Parts: sequence; C-alpha cells; structure tokens
Amino acid sequence: MALGLTLAVLGGALACILGGIGSAIGVGLAGQASSGVMSEDPEKFGSLLLLVALPGTQGIYGFLSAFLVILKIGLTTGVIPKLTVFNGWQILVACLPVAFAGLVSGIHQGKVCASGVYMVAKQPKDLMKPVIMAALVETYAVLGLLITILLLNGIKL
Amino acid sequence: MALAEVKRVQIVAHSDVKMELLSSLQESGLIQLEEANFEDFGLVSTSPEDSQLEYTLHRLKHALDYFSREEEKGFLKKLFAQKPALERQKRKEVLEYDYQSVLDDLEKLEAEKSELLSEIKFLERERDFLSPLKELRLPVSSVEPTDLTEIMLGSMPLSQFEDLQKLAEEEAIWFEVIHQDKRQMHLLVFYLKREQEQLEQSLKELNFSRFYFTEPIMSMAQVKDRVENVMEKIHKEIEERIKNVEALNRAGRRLAVHREKLMLVHDVLLNEREKILSTRLLGETERIFYLEGWIRSFDIQRLKKKLKPFSDESQLYFRPPLPEENPPSILENPKPSKPFEVVTKLYGLPQRGSLDPTLPLAPFFFLFVGICVSEAGYGLVVTLLSLLYIKFAKPKGGLLLFLKLLTLLGISTVILGTLVGGWFGFPIRKLMILDPLLDPLSFLILALALGFIQVWFGTFLKLIDGIKNKIILQSIFVQGGWLLLLPSLVLYLLTKQFLWGILSLVGAAGIVFFASPSRNPLARFFGGLYSLYDISRYLADVLSYSRLLALGLATSVIAMVVNTLCQTALGIPWVGWLLATLIFLGGHLFNLAISYLGGFVHSMRLQFVEFFSKFFRSGGKPFQPFEMESKFVEFI
Repeated sequence: MALGLTLAVLGGALACILGGIGSAIGVGLAGQASSGVMSEDPEKFGSLLLLVALPGTQGIYGFLSAFLVILKIGLTTGVIPKLTVFNGWQILVACLPVAFAGLVSGIHQGKVCASGVYMVAKQPKDLMKPVIMAALVETYAVLGLLITILLLNGIKL
Repeated sequence: MALAEVKRVQIVAHSDVKMELLSSLQESGLIQLEEANFEDFGLVSTSPEDSQLEYTLHRLKHALDYFSREEEKGFLKKLFAQKPALERQKRKEVLEYDYQSVLDDLEKLEAEKSELLSEIKFLERERDFLSPLKELRLPVSSVEPTDLTEIMLGSMPLSQFEDLQKLAEEEAIWFEVIHQDKRQMHLLVFYLKREQEQLEQSLKELNFSRFYFTEPIMSMAQVKDRVENVMEKIHKEIEERIKNVEALNRAGRRLAVHREKLMLVHDVLLNEREKILSTRLLGETERIFYLEGWIRSFDIQRLKKKLKPFSDESQLYFRPPLPEENPPSILENPKPSKPFEVVTKLYGLPQRGSLDPTLPLAPFFFLFVGICVSEAGYGLVVTLLSLLYIKFAKPKGGLLLFLKLLTLLGISTVILGTLVGGWFGFPIRKLMILDPLLDPLSFLILALALGFIQVWFGTFLKLIDGIKNKIILQSIFVQGGWLLLLPSLVLYLLTKQFLWGILSLVGAAGIVFFASPSRNPLARFFGGLYSLYDISRYLADVLSYSRLLALGLATSVIAMVVNTLCQTALGIPWVGWLLATLIFLGGHLFNLAISYLGGFVHSMRLQFVEFFSKFFRSGGKPFQPFEMESKFVEFI
C-alpha cells in the first residue's frame, strides 16, 4: 500500500519541481535581460517587472497541482491515507501534463519575455504587446493545468 | 460600431493673423494638421526658427530636474500628486514673470557647487598623497636641494631594502624610511651632488621613484610647517568647502519656491514652440497662408465658433476624404463601452471602412475577466481602489480610461465570483449556480459555449462587414454558410436529428460553391471544398476558451490554499493569529495580482486571436490633433 502513496506523492512533487524549474529558468532569463535594460534606464523597473514576473505562473500551476494532490489523498488530515498502487500510478500520471507543459513553456515564455524586455527598452509604450506574445506561450501551461485538474478530479479513490 | 466621420478642413487666411489663428487652433485641439499640397497653388513653405526657444526650454527642463531631484516626497504623495492648473487664455501672462533671473541664479549656483566639488576632490587626492609622509620630521619647505647635497622624497618596493642598504654603505648616500606598508616604503634620501649621475642611475635600478610636492601644497606650507600641519590645513579647507556646498544646497532649496512658476513657463513655451514648428506645414505667399487638416464632422460647428474672431480675414472649407486619402481613425463609443477602447487600441486602430470592434468585444471581455478571476472579494478590492484613485488623484486621459475599465472588471468579478467562485476563498454556496471544483465538466461546457458564441458572433460581424463593403454574394453564402453550418452541426451531433443534418449540409454547400473566387468550375469546387477544412480552425478556437475554466479554478484553489495555510498557522501558540493575519493578507494580495494579470492577458488574447481574426482589419492611424501639450501643467 505504501507504494501507492509514494507514487502519488511523487506525482505531486514532480508537478511542483518541473513547473518550478521551468519558471525559475524563464524568470531568470527575463530578469537578466531586464537588469541589462535597467542599467541604462532605471525608471523602467515597474513595466519590466511585469514581463519578468510573467513566466512565474508555471511554477504556481505546479504548486497548485501539488496542493490538489495533497488535498486529494488527504495528507493534511493527519491519518496516513490508504492508496492502491493503481491509484498511485493514476495520480502520478495525472500530474504529468502540468509538469512537462510547465517545464518547457516556462523556459520558452522566459525567452519571449526577455526579447519583450528589449522591445520595451526601445518602445516603452508597447508594453502590452510582448505580454500578449508571452501569453500565447503560456496557453499550453494553462491547458496542461486544466487537464491535470480534470484528471485529478476524475480519479476515484 | 462605426468610426467617427472625419472631414478634410482647409483654411485660407491673411498672414497678419497667422500666429493668432494658430493659437486659437491649438487651444481648441480640434484639428490634426496635415501637410498642405501647396505646390499646386504656387505656395511655398517656410522652415521655422526655434533654436532660441529650444535653448530656453532646455534650461528650464534642467532647472526643473534639479528641483525634482532635491525634493523629497513619499511614495503615496507622489502617487496622488496633481499637476498645477493653468487657464488657456491666461497663458501669455505667465511669460511676464522674470524666469530668466531665476534660471541665471540657479545656474550660477550649480556652477559654483560643481567647482567646489572638484576642488574638494583635488584636496582629498593631495591628502591621500601626503598621508604616508606624515612622519617626516623635516619641515616641508626644507625638502629642497642645497649647493652640495640633493634632498628628495620617494618610494621604493620593499624587496629592494637590502640593496639600498648596501648602496648606502658604499657610496655617499644616506636615507631614512619614513613609512612602510605591505609592498613599498617611503624614503627620505640625501646624496652629494658631485656623484649625482652615478647615484641616480643606481637608484633607478632599485626602482626608486621620486615625489615632488605640488604647487598648492608648497604654497600652503609656511616656513616651519611639517607634513602633519599641512594635512591639517587641507582638512580644514575641505571642511570649509563642504560647508559652502551645504550653503549652496540650502540656497537651491530656497529657489524651489519658483518651481511651480517655472513649470508653467516651461509648458507655455513648449506650446509656443509647437506652434512655431507647425508653421512648416503651411503653404504661404506674402499676403496669405493656407492650411489643411482633419476634423471630426461633429466638431465643425465648434471650429467655426472658435474662428469667428477671424471671420473677416479667413475662409473655411470642408470636404469629405477622397478615396485615395487615409484619414485618421477615431473611435466613438457610448459611455459604458468606452473604457474597452483600451483593449482595441492595444491591438491597433481599425482601418478606414472597418468596424470598430470595441462594442462587440465589451460584453465578452467583461464576462471573461470575471470568470478568470472569479473571486468576489478581489473584485471588490479592485473596484474600491480604482474608484478611490479616480476620486483623489484625478487622473486624465488614458490612465482614467484604464481605471474605469478596472472598475468595470472589478464589478464583473464581484458578480461572477459570487456565482461561480467565492469571497476570499470561502464560497457562499447559497448564491452559487455552479461550483467548478465539484463539477468542472459543466463549467468547461459553459466556457466552450461562451467561446462558441463569440466565434459565431465574430463570423456574423464579418458578414456585416462584407455586405457594407459590397462583397454581398460571397459574404452571404460563405459567412452565412458558416453561421448556419456551425450551430446546426453541433445540434446534429448532440441530437442526431435529421433536420439539423440537412441544415448543416446547406451551409456547407454555400461555402463549397462560393468560397473560391476562381472562374473555372472545377477549381472553384475543390477550392471551396478545401476551405471547409477551416472547420478545424473553428474547433481549435472554441477549445481555446477552456482556459477560462483553468484560470478560474487556479484563483479559487490558490485562495483556498492561502486559507488552509492560515488555519495551520492559527494552531501555533501565542503568535498564531499574527502569522495567520500576515499569511491571509499577503497570500490574497499575491493571488489578486497574479489572477488579474492572468485574467487580463488571457481574456485579451481571446479577443485578439480568436475574435478579431474573424472580422477585424486593423492598421488605422491615430488622430493626433494640434493641441496644448502638457508636461508639468494641466491646461484648463
């Protein structure tokens, strides 16, 4: 029985870890670019922060999914939950969409945001355009989250 | 939904009233000036001269920058700061104020200050140079060669010490170490002048480098002054200068009383310059000048009234834009949907002859942001904050429009949050129509249904646009075909009723026979058949609206997580309540920020990618009227 629980926890952990890695790399890329721009023009901090923060959502989606797993298997209740090995596998697999979509889209969104930062450096008025471009990438993280939520919701323990 | 009607205005007037008439036009801000095709009428254009004004403006800007650097202001004060107001008609009076002398004073003061600062820097360098020589026991003035001996100061790497000692034993040279640190030593050296050549060579081989006291130091040192005394003097000089700098700073702050007046002068002169620069668009002869521009038809009466004082010297003409001309696009919307122009402008203004998408997108955008955030508490916070800011900071223009949009979106969030979300993570089940956490599938269907409606509506708008632009037959059969095909196909798949099947085939037939412009019947048929493949695009568009569910769920779940963490924190003895309060405030604030960002951006994307792609043609030019520009001042 313990194997089932381990697998479920692994699923939640993967969602959080991979989403977190994606976001960390993405925010890192955008952050480096914006520091470069700010060294010339410190006034832009506010508008650049938006672009730097944008690739951070994948990490949040991963965290969110991990938390849903915790609630689903009842880790907060204080009673060790009983899961079959099948249940464990189901939860693990249900976590994969948000984990991998988050990992890859976070990195690429970071790249889009970094080039958006350079664009804002030259065209400060067009701040929202790169934001929309970044949102196009984020779509796939959102879809991953959606499927993970629906799958987790559908698993009957 | 249509754009505002725009007319070309042409004005001919006598040269005597040129500047006054331009002033009136600038005050009214009704016309966008265009370059007149004066060559047809044998007119010439002049290149205006503004270098003097430009220089004064530069000085004013510099002074204002100085004041804003000196001024200390809290963040909140800055946020709610309002520009001073100035009546348009009274702007000439502002220039009577003697701003030149204030500028002169300030510039003199800054020049003095920068000189003092550079002197301080020099003195500090001298002090640093002297500090290793502090223990020299000779007075500064006596470090001078005599008839027979050379006396000098210098430094040498520490590693050469033994060689130097050897040299001193063998030759007529004497030295004393004044100071030594990790790498080098400072020396006082005496030798006999008759062996100068040879000794200089030896010292050079030992990497000896000689010091000289600089002119200011020598003049500062009196006969018996040692290095220590000179350093004290330098220190005093520095202190004195620092005091002077502070005095100058105080004087600068006293000058700040003129700041507001300088702001007025700056903006008045800025507009003077704009006016002078605008004359390059005019066509002129010796006696008359001629200008052209764009004006909203709605404003024609106002312009006539404004130019009444010049009715004897001028003549106005209006005509509709020619087909080859590209007049600016002006959005015109009723009050409730006006704030949504923010979304349209972000994408781009409509081309001439295209629909203004603001009104069509408004209800959808309103609804979508509400669903994406779906947290009534956050909506309330955002609405209240926006209203407070509008009331107290009195923003203008684009910012005001954006805040109004935020207010509306906040209201939408309160409504939808109550219906499908909660209040700060606590759902009120009695008021809810659907709980996305318990029944995500129904919510997904709702989101897709909304998407279907918007996509269908977008196609409908394309039909209208096509009919307006006289592509009637194709529009009715192709767009109309889609409008029939899409709903009946969905209904057929759901109910399997024969009638819906027939209707979808009728719609599809319209598309197949009219989608391709080709005259060859076979090419036309297969081209049309191929365009039926667009159905996959419609499917993808509708599925894209599933993000409404995901974003809505994300907000609710994070809000719940915050509350769960609060509950856990409450269990900690003594400080539990404090921690719980902090987590509650911080957590919900964070969630508010990311949900609104996500809600805004993704709802916008749904408009741009899924909705606009159906019917909207952007690429219009914005209307940029010749008007009073304000940088520091509000013209009333």
